Amino acid sequence: MDMTTLLWLFVVAFGASALGGMLGMASGIFIVPILILAFGIDIHVAIAASIVSVIACSCGSASPFLKGRLTNVKLAIVLETATTLGALTGVLLIGIIPTPFLYALFSLILILSAQQMMARRRQLIRNAPPDPASWATRLRLHGSFPDRALGTDIPYQVDRVPLGLFLMYGAGVISALLGIGSGVLKIPAMDTALRLPIKVSSATSNFMIGVTAAASGGAYLVRGDIDMGIAGPVALGSVVGALAGARLLMRMPAEKLRILFSVVLIALAIQMMLSALDIQIWGN
Amino acid sequence: MNSSIHPPDRHDGLIAALLWYGTLLASAVIAAGILLAAADALDPALGLSAIGYRLIKIGVVVFILLPVSRVMLMMILFLQARDYVYMAIAALVLAIIGTGVLIGL
Repeated sequence: MDMTTLLWLFVVAFGASALGGMLGMASGIFIVPILILAFGIDIHVAIAASIVSVIACSCGSASPFLKGRLTNVKLAIVLETATTLGALTGVLLIGIIPTPFLYALFSLILILSAQQMMARRRQLIRNAPPDPASWATRLRLHGSFPDRALGTDIPYQVDRVPLGLFLMYGAGVISALLGIGSGVLKIPAMDTALRLPIKVSSATSNFMIGVTAAASGGAYLVRGDIDMGIAGPVALGSVVGALAGARLLMRMPAEKLRILFSVVLIALAIQMMLSALDIQIWGN
Repeated sequence: MNSSIHPPDRHDGLIAALLWYGTLLASAVIAAGILLAAADALDPALGLSAIGYRLIKIGVVVFILLPVSRVMLMMILFLQARDYVYMAIAALVLAIIGTGVLIGL
């Protein structure tokens, strides 16, 4: 790894992460395709390096959400039992899954992300009193979050925890297999299965991503799968970029950016699918 | 009203501080490592490259340990609050992460 590549890795990770941050999305999903397609890095090396930047972004952006009391830390630790177990499964699977399948799976997740980027998030709020026998009630997971517009705390309930755990397990597997935060799977699970308010589910999902990625990252580290010359500059670029992007969040025309991102995601999906089928168009 | 629902804000603040200062530390160490490696590229005679890469590695390890130490901190905070159910849940998450490391070895 020469110096120029090191600096380019930093710059590209910064750019991807800053753009992602403007839309409030994590850049992990861009990092792996960029490392593979632009730098010609092996997919397994790209995944292990990307998982470090996923941890960095989650940790770097957690503080404002926690201080704003948007993160439900109890719910996070409960769901983390499932995401880390999923990550463990992914670590065991990645050695035996054929590489073309990894490319195909990545392609599918990119398409899902594009679709999610264009869709409006739905908020399902229940007003019925909490079921006293539900997992969420017994685990004291129901919470409240401050609403700035109303200037008051808004209480919310947590629904269907077992279904949430099941979906989080799947998100953990995908996170470890593809080196991404799996926000694309965590957010719908929290919005629709647990029926959380959007702000709470975004904050809690972001909070959990770091622990999920640390479960696979720790295993990849001791296995010697992490190339420090790649992981270091990419993690640094991602975390600085995410912080810069979050500040620019309000200044960009979000709708146009959203369409642009969807197009980029679809283009990356096509290229990853072609790699899965071993067809090279734009060359490597 | 939310003390039984959310852990007290003081706890969330502690977790926020751990993650923020940990991120700053890891980022600074990686940045220093990259700068040393760059200095080495300008003048290889100084032999800074090895130190630079060592620093980058330390920074990456700090990043990976950061969420783990966050779960440890939560476990301690739940223990202090005598919330044994949640202490056990946090311990379970740590055990799962530890198992992953053992599998990796």
